[in-house]
Amino acid sequence: MAKSVETLEKSIKDAPKAKKPESKKNWFSWGLLAPVLFFFILMSVLPTIWMFGLAFYDYTLTSANKPKLIGFKNFTDFLANQQLAGSVSRTFIFLLCAVIIQTLLGILIGVLFWKNDKMPGRRLALTLFFTPMVVTPIATSLFWKFILDPTLGVINYFVSVLGFERFDTLTDQTLAFPTLVFVDTWMWTPFMTLMTLAALGSVPKAELEAAQVDRLPITRLIRTVIWPHAKFILGLGILLRTIDAFKTMDLAYVMTGGGPGDRTELIAVSLYRFAFKSFKLGYSSAVSVFLMFIAIALTSIYLYILNAKKKSEA
Amino acid sequence: MYDIKLQGITKKFDAFTAVNDINFTIPKSSVTVLLGPSGCGKTTLMRMIAGLESPTEGRIFFDEHDVTDVPTRRRNIGMVFQYPVIYRGTSVRKNLELPLLSEKLSKAEMDKRVDEVAEILDLQDVLKRQVEELDNGTRQKIAVGREVARQPRIILFDEPITNIDLTSKLELKRSMKELFGRLKQTIVYVTHDQTEAMTLADQIALMQDGVITQCDSPKEIYEKPNSQFAGWFLGNPGMNFVPPQFINVSGSKITSPLFSQTIDFGTKASSADTFGVRAEGINVSTTETKGGVQARVTRKSIGAGGQYLLDLAVGSLLIKARVSHSIGRTAKDAVWTSIESENITFFDKSGKAL
Repeated sequence: MAKSVETLEKSIKDAPKAKKPESKKNWFSWGLLAPVLFFFILMSVLPTIWMFGLAFYDYTLTSANKPKLIGFKNFTDFLANQQLAGSVSRTFIFLLCAVIIQTLLGILIGVLFWKNDKMPGRRLALTLFFTPMVVTPIATSLFWKFILDPTLGVINYFVSVLGFERFDTLTDQTLAFPTLVFVDTWMWTPFMTLMTLAALGSVPKAELEAAQVDRLPITRLIRTVIWPHAKFILGLGILLRTIDAFKTMDLAYVMTGGGPGDRTELIAVSLYRFAFKSFKLGYSSAVSVFLMFIAIALTSIYLYILNAKKKSEA
Repeated sequence: MYDIKLQGITKKFDAFTAVNDINFTIPKSSVTVLLGPSGCGKTTLMRMIAGLESPTEGRIFFDEHDVTDVPTRRRNIGMVFQYPVIYRGTSVRKNLELPLLSEKLSKAEMDKRVDEVAEILDLQDVLKRQVEELDNGTRQKIAVGREVARQPRIILFDEPITNIDLTSKLELKRSMKELFGRLKQTIVYVTHDQTEAMTLADQIALMQDGVITQCDSPKEIYEKPNSQFAGWFLGNPGMNFVPPQFINVSGSKITSPLFSQTIDFGTKASSADTFGVRAEGINVSTTETKGGVQARVTRKSIGAGGQYLLDLAVGSLLIKARVSHSIGRTAKDAVWTSIESENITFFDKSGKAL
């Protein structure tokens, strides 16, 4: 018995040697990966490391002073900053509202498309429906700004034609934030519809047919047939949307500039201001590090759930 | 129980006609196997009976009820799919119970039915297990049990053992054979495997190119194929076909260099074009016999069960003969063959049996 273990160990030790011809292949695959890795490291990894470093310095681009190491002062500063705390909580409210509404709407529309797979013009409808998702966010923000404009906007034109008073949603204290959520929903609901269609598509056809034959009630159908297959892709969609909503910047910056007051000041907008209006690079790096950890936390939670599920199935 | 009447059923997928004008009745309380090569339309036909596909033309009746436009949910059928369907996140018992929930049964009745099928299918030991933990063979057993426990009037099986590993396959086939003996339902079973069909069927409906070409008991369809296709498709090897140049017809009499006797085939003799004979319908002797036709052995192979399969050349004609172990073992280069007239089936030019 002991001998066989020994030989086994030996064979394990010898294994990499035996695979030597593979190393040539490895060089080839590394060679193919190299350009991407080069740019990834140059454009993504190095700046991130740089940012980590900057977070511990007092460094303002416009001042004549040299960067000064100040330890955790940037972090303690912004954690004490009430305004910033306001932006963070506002961002979370925005994220919750947007993701929940988009998920529900996306699922609803996705199910409608899925149910009517023989509807004439379905492909065209889907293509049109998905366009908001492929338009640049800046363009989306600009044309919604025009549509909603109090004097030039088409909505206000019809409002005045109908005999009501023109109104300006983007500068209104109560309407500005919901309007932002609305435009974000207009832009991103198609994404959740896409994910819903993919999730429903991952349910085996035979299982759906068996459920019809066995006359399962709709709640059972969802619980025992659709959900076990669909949950991963749908969950992934929600995660991507959450991370993305957390970073929302262009929409708020172009449409309202964070206003009126700070009603639509999302964290990414504040960050942009610190970095590229006040050029407080050390401070804004600290905020970025903080945001990055929130994003990593969200991802980890999802991956943890996913892995736990996988383990229970194995 | 219901019989299933198919009236002028046609199904087209764009330009392709999968099922072509089928008029057929599947008798109640028996096992009908739809057998045919892949692409012959057997699964499409079954899916139309289930309501998962709607016919391009024609009507489907369960007894006198027209169900053509009735959705699957309301047809009161059971169906076992090729891919073993289980309902995830529940126990095996719950899986068997799920379709019973809409039947509004008492708890006692429900338990009785579940325990009954669990016993027949040998599932008692796994009843409490989670379905995800089980292999494909057991999953398919659960799927079969689920349909049986519900006791619908019609149960459809769509190649249920195709996707199962070999050992579970045999086991599942055996338990289904037992199950079919007990069930009083109308059973339709689709397969491309003739052994499966022979084992399970009360009658086999043979399909080719979207049409049912013959429907008979396994014995009948094997012994009296009504077409060359049936003769060729059933049996392993399929029937030997002897081409026209080996047949002489004069009046009602048919002779051939392959058999010594003269066959009187009456008025139908004139349309005889080819004849078929099964491999086991050819008598082979290793010594010269009176009236025997000499043949040369080109190949010899032993089959399961010890019988031999001989490839024989009679002049330019190649035929296969199945012979007993003792003859096969001793057969050398030259053998003598004869064919009894009752083992001969004549076909006309179009391939129809006469």
